[in-house]
Amino acid sequence: MLLFRSEETVKKWCIAHAIPLRPLIDLNQLWYLAMTWYGNRLTADSRRPGPDEMAGIFAQIGLAGPFWDPKADQW
Amino acid sequence: MDLDTAVKLKIYETIALTTHAPTAKDVAAALQLPLADVEAAFESLHNRRLLVPEPGDPSRIRMAPPFSGTETPFRARVQGKLYFANCAWDAFGIPAALHQDAFIEAADGFSDEPIRLEIKDGQPVSQPCVIHFAVPAAKWWEDIIFT
Repeated sequence: MLLFRSEETVKKWCIAHAIPLRPLIDLNQLWYLAMTWYGNRLTADSRRPGPDEMAGIFAQIGLAGPFWDPKADQW
Repeated sequence: MDLDTAVKLKIYETIALTTHAPTAKDVAAALQLPLADVEAAFESLHNRRLLVPEPGDPSRIRMAPPFSGTETPFRARVQGKLYFANCAWDAFGIPAALHQDAFIEAADGFSDEPIRLEIKDGQPVSQPCVIHFAVPAAKWWEDIIFT
């Protein structure tokens, strides 16, 4: 997951690396993911979310479809 | 508290305090445990996707997400300390894990133009920037270092 100043530089990176353009998210969505994933990481009860939990977290910020489905085999 | 949890907490406590990932030997000494037990806990934490060992050396930590055990282009400055993150997500994950505001230093993935972000009062400060996910969620752990 890389940061880019704009969608234009993402497209140039994709061409340079022969990788298709994939979904983009903004800083508020990234912060939500960071808080849900890592907000309790330094505690005894912390764990990585399971696949269904992950899909639910993504859906909360509008990220849906096979690309965001940890159980998908096509995207 | 079970062994895996004790080892996990010692790893994160050490990184939060020193900014450096401990080795299995460091953790064994700190917890006064046999090295073999700590190495087994490292493997268990890896299987639970909470730790990534250094390739070729399972006693060293490459990732204790969101923290990186090695220097990377993703840096988080928190209360005067410099931490390294594994990716854009983890760069925000460090202030999230530490519950602190932070400055994030990174660069545009294509142009290498420096990008400086800020978490202030528990929220990201808005500025032009996007994050690109090149790998689908189902594939993230097939090569987590690339992801």
